[in-house]
Amino acid sequence: MNDALLPNDAARSRRPMRFLAFGVAVVLVVGALTTRLVFLQIQQAPAYEALAEANRTTTVAIPSTRGVIYDRAGRQLVQNVPTWSVKIRPADLPYSQRDAIVARLAELLELTPAEVNLRIESNPGSRFDLVRIKNDVPESIARIIAEERLKLPGVEVIVESRRDYMYGSLLSQVIGFTGAVDPGQLADLQAKGYLPDDLLGKAGVESQYETQLRGVYGEQQVERDATGRTIRVLQTASEPKPGDSLVLSIDLKEQRYAQKALEWGLKAAGVRRGVFAVMNPQTGEILALVSLPTYDDNLFAKGISDKDFQRLMQDKDTPFLNHAIAEQYPPGSTYKLVTGSGALADGKLTRTSTVLSKPYVQIGPDKYWDWNHAGWGPLNIIEGLGHSSDTFFYQVSQMLGIERLAYWARQFGFGAKSGIDLPGEVPGLVPTNQWKQDTFGQGIFPGETLQAGIGQGYDVATPLQVLNAYAALANGGRLYQPQVVREIVAADGTVVRGFQKKLIRKLNVKSVHLETMRLAARRVTTIRHTYNVVDMPIVVSGKTGTAEFGVRDKEGRLPYHNWYVGYVSRSGDVTKPDSQLAFVAFVYGANTVGNAATEIAKYYLQLHFGIEKDYRIPSLLVRGNFYGD
Amino acid sequence: MGVLRAEPARMGAASRAVGSAWKAFDWQLTVYALMLMTFGLVMAYSNSVHDGVSPLSWGTTFTRGLMWAAIAIVAFTLATAFDYKWLKTFAWPLYGVNIGLLLLSLAIGDGVGNSSRWITFPVIGLQFQFSEIAKILMIIVLARYLSAGEAKLDSLSTILGACLLTAPIVVLVMLQPDLGTSLVLVAILAGMLFMSGASLRWLAVLAAAAVACVPLAWNFILHDYQKARLISFLDPTSDPQGSGYHLLQSQIAVASGSFLGKGLTNGTQAQLDFLPVQSTDFVFAILAEELGFLGALVVFALFAALLWRILSSAWRARDPFGTMVGAGMAAMILFQLTVNVGMVIGIMPITGIPLPFITHGGASLISLAVGLGILQSINIRQARAEW
Repeated sequence: MNDALLPNDAARSRRPMRFLAFGVAVVLVVGALTTRLVFLQIQQAPAYEALAEANRTTTVAIPSTRGVIYDRAGRQLVQNVPTWSVKIRPADLPYSQRDAIVARLAELLELTPAEVNLRIESNPGSRFDLVRIKNDVPESIARIIAEERLKLPGVEVIVESRRDYMYGSLLSQVIGFTGAVDPGQLADLQAKGYLPDDLLGKAGVESQYETQLRGVYGEQQVERDATGRTIRVLQTASEPKPGDSLVLSIDLKEQRYAQKALEWGLKAAGVRRGVFAVMNPQTGEILALVSLPTYDDNLFAKGISDKDFQRLMQDKDTPFLNHAIAEQYPPGSTYKLVTGSGALADGKLTRTSTVLSKPYVQIGPDKYWDWNHAGWGPLNIIEGLGHSSDTFFYQVSQMLGIERLAYWARQFGFGAKSGIDLPGEVPGLVPTNQWKQDTFGQGIFPGETLQAGIGQGYDVATPLQVLNAYAALANGGRLYQPQVVREIVAADGTVVRGFQKKLIRKLNVKSVHLETMRLAARRVTTIRHTYNVVDMPIVVSGKTGTAEFGVRDKEGRLPYHNWYVGYVSRSGDVTKPDSQLAFVAFVYGANTVGNAATEIAKYYLQLHFGIEKDYRIPSLLVRGNFYGD
Repeated sequence: MGVLRAEPARMGAASRAVGSAWKAFDWQLTVYALMLMTFGLVMAYSNSVHDGVSPLSWGTTFTRGLMWAAIAIVAFTLATAFDYKWLKTFAWPLYGVNIGLLLLSLAIGDGVGNSSRWITFPVIGLQFQFSEIAKILMIIVLARYLSAGEAKLDSLSTILGACLLTAPIVVLVMLQPDLGTSLVLVAILAGMLFMSGASLRWLAVLAAAAVACVPLAWNFILHDYQKARLISFLDPTSDPQGSGYHLLQSQIAVASGSFLGKGLTNGTQAQLDFLPVQSTDFVFAILAEELGFLGALVVFALFAALLWRILSSAWRARDPFGTMVGAGMAAMILFQLTVNVGMVIGIMPITGIPLPFITHGGASLISLAVGLGILQSINIRQARAEW
């Protein structure tokens, strides 16, 4: 150094040791920083490169277009409409700004901050998966959120397609709706390529045909920035495959008639729960299926509010259930088809043999009364069913015994799910000794056999089972599996699966006996058990039912459902198994003076056949004054 | 102390001695500083690329950087030409000006959130941070004080006097609030006291007292966000999306740069906004990401060389004032280098301390230029006296 050259007075102000110390400090600092850089950039580089890469790239699914749904005439029932959804990727939500972001978002989406937080917390996936905050956000709000992107890190506005159920509640019980993945299902579904914020069919054919409707999602690698915005697509690993579309067997026109008739009848009777279903007995195709009360599936498509959901959930008439398949009721006198057919097939009766109907049948101390408390004297099977004589069928039940009765009930499809392509079906119940032993620890009592023969006691069935049993009668003994989806059609129009009848079984009943039962079912009409149905310009056969259920009132009376199940002869010759139209009407807890179900069926038939004259008898729908009020 | 007195300026001799004076001008020091500034401009260019507009258009970080660089070169030239001895004469008025400017900042300044760090010039719309200038003015004032009170440097009173001089400035800066710059001021004070030959014993006592005050500062002085930064430094994983986010993302940036870097403008961490405020305090992270270990090493080498030249100037100065100015500059640059780079690579807590020359900011660059200019002024004028 230059020390020697400098004058002494200047040297006095300089402290060589301190300069040295400072120099050492510089060396130490630069050395320490370099060491740390060596550690980070050389030794740890691969690990951190992976982190930077993970920051930068992400795999995103390319949703496939969900298949749509048509009626049997090709009328579109469901369409996909573009909609804006707001989602949050929790991992991109800066902790320090979360409150502010949630507050702003809540304000824009008209939610409370608590609701937004709840949705973030109830996220089923990982922090890196998008969480659905709100569906069907108005475009104006979506644009505001998109513009405030920098102030709302972690928030994404996504254009999605939403289901538009064009006829809403008219078809909600058949079509169903799509909804968010349940956290509990996620693990299973993720293996099938579902995303945590995905939608999937939750009810109706949307659920039943989920796999076909959904198609296959594609996958692509994208580069994204810190706010999760996609910068560019790096590569598309697989293209999405659009879902197949469904063609229902339902006819929109028939569905409308059925709904109109049922709504009218229930309203006139002052009740809310009922079913009207129409089937082609020759194929098992369901042409109309109405269950009331119901809901609008668009509520779900748009994201149902808690209030609406709770209102529907707490409705005692269970609007979420398809009462035609998901609930079981005593079938009442409609069940006499089973008893009669079984007795003919087992040789206990012939077409002409008679049984003496009387006011009641006595077993031990108990009297089992006929409905008219008088009887009709000796009756053959045709007259017995025509009058719907209870004492006639009590005695026939005794001839068969509980086990043969159960056998014939099963033949007609009772006690087992029909296999209709809708979720939530229940099997009903056909009582046997074994069943009663297993359930109650004792066998069937003789009186219970009597009740089992007229569709009371332990017998329960769904309206669809009752309809299907009569469809088998109408078509000459073939029990078909009911179907609501006719065809599955690919996006390019090719038919993936055409319609095929599905035979459950050929009934073990000779056709001559079924012919006898068809004559008996027609006799119900001609004997005016169904009032003026016989006057209509169509040939209707069928059977009514008044099925008691529930709890007796103070005077010992039970409330009752009304049934009417039947079919229309094509040729007019009722012995021929040529019907192409079978129907069932069911009114829960009708308690009307006349049979409400018959009135509903008449109205439907008038609409279907374009009958100008009105055969309805509104006075029959007055509430009977013998239960409750 | 604060008495104005005319120094023997001998202005007439100046023109005759220009030739020899330029021989004493420290070209190396100037070149290292210019190279560091160039690194800063290069990073400014890289950070301007992804804004969607041309980096060359008006108002980008890059063009603003170019303009500040031009102003800084002018300021450096003027400071070099200016006879530094006048600074000794005007040290005390300058101290007053310093306090005035900081009060002005508090009164009309603005900044992020509730702070008041910058003054925006109405006509050209540029922001200027006076606390940066305060550092240079503080160096001049302390140099003046310590060079005059040299004889009593062993005494506690001189040390306390220096502390008392610095305290109002530190407090005013902290009120902005700007914890980083107030720490730099304390570092300048410490560095200058150390180099002035102040009693190590008393310095140790003071340091111990300062450490003892840490709990007090924690409870009464530090803001919540400042505490959060310290906590997340001690445990970055405690809040990876919050305060820890900067730390983690900046380390990812640095480490993923590897040996050769991803290339200018190719740093994904910066260009995709994973690293917030990448154009200011975290610019070194982007430098390390895009230019790699090699680029960072060159920057370190330039800093080391520059510090060496500054210390040499301080050593050569016959005037104790010159030695003290050099010591202050060196302390300032070393401290800011340590804390800024240390923060970026995760060995120091997050404080808003810029990296000299490289962090984009006019005030920082100009105060460095002025400081180095004064040092050159000392160089050439000492040399003339010597030879």
